[in-house]
Amino acid sequence: MNAIEIAGLSKTYTGKKWTRVDALKNLSLEVAQGEIFGFLGPNGAGKSTTIKTLLGLIRPSSGSARLMGEDIGTAAARKHVGYLPENPAFYDYLNAEEYLLFVGRSFGMPEGLLGQRCAEVLQRLQLWDARKRPMRSYSKGMVQRVGIAQVLIHDPEVYILDEPMSGLDPVGRALVKEIMTELKQRGKCVFFSTHIVSDVESVCDRVGIITKGELRSVERVEAVLERGVVGYQLTLKDREGSRELYVPREQLTTTVGELAVQGVEITLLEPRRKSLEDFFLEIVTGTAV
Amino acid sequence: MAANRSLPRPIVWSVSAGILVACYLALIFPFARYLHQKPVQEKLGVVPKAEFLQLVSADQKQLVAEGLTLKVLLYFGTLAEKRNNELQLPPDYQAMSRLLHAAVKLDPYNMDDYYFAQSILVWDVKQIKIANALLEYGMKYRTWDFYLPFFAGFNYGYFLKDYPKAASNYMRAAELSKNPLFATLAGRYLNDAGQSDLAIAYLNTMVLSATNPSIKKTLQVRLEALKKARSIEVAAAAYAKATGIPAESVEELVRQGYLPEVPRDPYGGKFYLDPDGKVKTTSNYASPVKKTKSAPQ
Amino acid sequence: MFEVFRITLKGIFRDRVFHGILVAAVLLPLVPSVSQLSMRQVTELSITLSLSLISFILLLLSVFLGGTSLWKDIDRRYTFSVLSLPISRTRFLLGRFLGLAAFLLLAALVLGVVACVVVSITAGNYPPDRPVVWGNVFAAIVFDALKYILLVAAAVALSTVSTSFFLPVFGTIATMLVGSASQQVYEYVQSPAGEKLTPLLRQCANALYYVLPNFSAFDLKVNAIYGVPLSGQGTLLTVLYFAVYVAMLLLVATVLFSRREMK
Ligand SMILES: Nc1ncnc2c1ncn2[C@@H]1O[C@H](COP(=O)(O)OP(=O)(O)OP(=O)(O)O)[C@@H](O)[C@H]1O
Ligand SMILES: [Mg+2]
Repeated sequence: MNAIEIAGLSKTYTGKKWTRVDALKNLSLEVAQGEIFGFLGPNGAGKSTTIKTLLGLIRPSSGSARLMGEDIGTAAARKHVGYLPENPAFYDYLNAEEYLLFVGRSFGMPEGLLGQRCAEVLQRLQLWDARKRPMRSYSKGMVQRVGIAQVLIHDPEVYILDEPMSGLDPVGRALVKEIMTELKQRGKCVFFSTHIVSDVESVCDRVGIITKGELRSVERVEAVLERGVVGYQLTLKDREGSRELYVPREQLTTTVGELAVQGVEITLLEPRRKSLEDFFLEIVTGTAV
Repeated sequence: MAANRSLPRPIVWSVSAGILVACYLALIFPFARYLHQKPVQEKLGVVPKAEFLQLVSADQKQLVAEGLTLKVLLYFGTLAEKRNNELQLPPDYQAMSRLLHAAVKLDPYNMDDYYFAQSILVWDVKQIKIANALLEYGMKYRTWDFYLPFFAGFNYGYFLKDYPKAASNYMRAAELSKNPLFATLAGRYLNDAGQSDLAIAYLNTMVLSATNPSIKKTLQVRLEALKKARSIEVAAAAYAKATGIPAESVEELVRQGYLPEVPRDPYGGKFYLDPDGKVKTTSNYASPVKKTKSAPQ
Repeated sequence: MFEVFRITLKGIFRDRVFHGILVAAVLLPLVPSVSQLSMRQVTELSITLSLSLISFILLLLSVFLGGTSLWKDIDRRYTFSVLSLPISRTRFLLGRFLGLAAFLLLAALVLGVVACVVVSITAGNYPPDRPVVWGNVFAAIVFDALKYILLVAAAVALSTVSTSFFLPVFGTIATMLVGSASQQVYEYVQSPAGEKLTPLLRQCANALYYVLPNFSAFDLKVNAIYGVPLSGQGTLLTVLYFAVYVAMLLLVATVLFSRREMK
């Protein structure tokens, strides 16, 4: 069973004055357990729309989806999920500890385990000292940390995170990446949206790129990087001194042959690969790969 | 909920809606009946003191005053209606009077209150002095209104037999209304003319200007009674003139052909001639419920 | 559901609006001295003033806490985090409503106890003609609370469809006015004076009378102040009416809220 199964999901918002926005068009996707999936797209691409639909916050116009085999929109499906909303807001009259206890109890965690997990999570996210202060007094990054803490506390199977790194300092970002890798090792499924490509490159198994509500590409990150070797940078040395030359991948053999004939020495050969960033930009701006 | 798992939500919703609407329908009519039948005294409710109301009603004094007035009118309306159904309850005149006084304190210009006090409280409670005090209070504000002196004049003349005061009030009414009728009435008071004619003229004016149906009806009944009494008076006078001795009884007048029949008192009493020759009725011009009235002070 | 109930209560007790309204309760101990203004019914006046003050405080609480509770959740985007927990929307809504209802009942009881102390002090100093019927005073306070719980149910139902603060707050105030007036208007329409109205208007008024909330039955002030005996059947009908009406409002609220999208 896949952790997340999305089949033909579409969403059309009808706004005021009957304006219609096709935010999501026939999206199909599967994410396995034990996989970290990066959901990449520019602003307004439909990432949050997809995620909110998965959590039953909005109803799809058509299509269906399942979380751990349960139809979305049911409490049973949400039971398996830890969700971090984008720009989260939590009851600001509660303090972090009270809120985490509330979340844990809503998931039906036994009190003993809950207390222990609560302390662990608070410490891990460096909220321990602030845990008795009402969240009204928290900074943006602290609220984001509470958001991550409330995702972790009940140890669900599936983690759906909408821009988990936003608002975090570099230490926080590194911490989140570390946590995601740990979760993967424990066989959990992490599905997160972002527009920062390097985050995807460093932790994801697979990446999905969405623009204007359409899923353009789903790839293994490794494969993209391998396929990405587009040419070589040669450093040459002859009588006139040393110079550099760029050679496209398919011309490498012939060029090297010619250079040997000319008696030019190749002192350095470096592969030039397209980064994930270039890959992303190509898809987004519509230039062919 | 557990049910959501086994049954689709729309079905759960519509079934519960059906059950609830059925319960509601079964309940609402007995409930409405209960509220409608709640004793009227309860409905008049209690009203805080006028000074307190004045304080809290802030800049909405007229509104609050109107609310009090409507409360009294509504109360009296349902009472009058119930009287037709032979449901006899002693009206809480004291509470009505209290509410009206509170209302004029809040809004001394509200004519409804004076009108109502005059139409009902004067006849039924006979608190003439209090009513006149109220009217004189109103005259200070409603300086243009001929009704107030007209009412006061009538009260002075008819009930209190204070003819000079009655005449001066009628003169004031005549001045304000430019209506010669009031001047004529004033003139009659000055020479102590027939009371019944005055009352009939007064009630005629009142009936013509009445808009509230329950008040109008009350006044009409009273007018009818007075007209009947007047017809007996006229017959008795004719009898005395012709025979030289006063008539013994109303029946005597009928037997001698001065009256076609014994007039029926609309209040359910019986007309009779008292030893002075004045026409009286056993009902004393009031509905039988008044016999149990709690004497107001 | 119990969790939502719990944080609802916590939220109210920490709300600054609540603290503000609570200040009005300090007027309660002043009642004995103000009551002395009355010449003939000091104790009765003290009951009147206490009941009115309690009623007023409960009104403020139900409008400004009840009317804004759910709206605030949506407006401040708390719903994203809470409704993504495995709590069904029905349970969330019920938890919220029950929290508010329990709070109103609690507030009424606490204020009621203070009022009873205040009234008994007055009654001790100025013995009334008829002894105070404490049962009726208690009933008047409880039914007042029920009235405002019904109002909160209406507020919750309005919040489920609104996108702004206006509908729940002003809608709740309007409901309060309508509910308080409906019986009087009905009596007027039924009275001879009402016969002058056009038949269509009268029919509309009658139809509305049976549909709109009716708060007049919850007003037991006369019974409390003057010791007028309560009608057992009437009380029972009122309680049933309360239960069915609240259930209907909550059902409507649930249907609307379950279908609402958290955009
Ligand atoms: N409530 C709404 N009503 C109408 N249109 C909406 C609504 N919410 C989102 N949209 C539109 O749907 C599209 C997708 O929005 P969505 O929030 O899913 O984007 P996103 O990929 O999360 O963007 P970002 O990276 O900025 O968070 C956008 O064009 C947006 O304008
Ligand atoms: Mg987004």
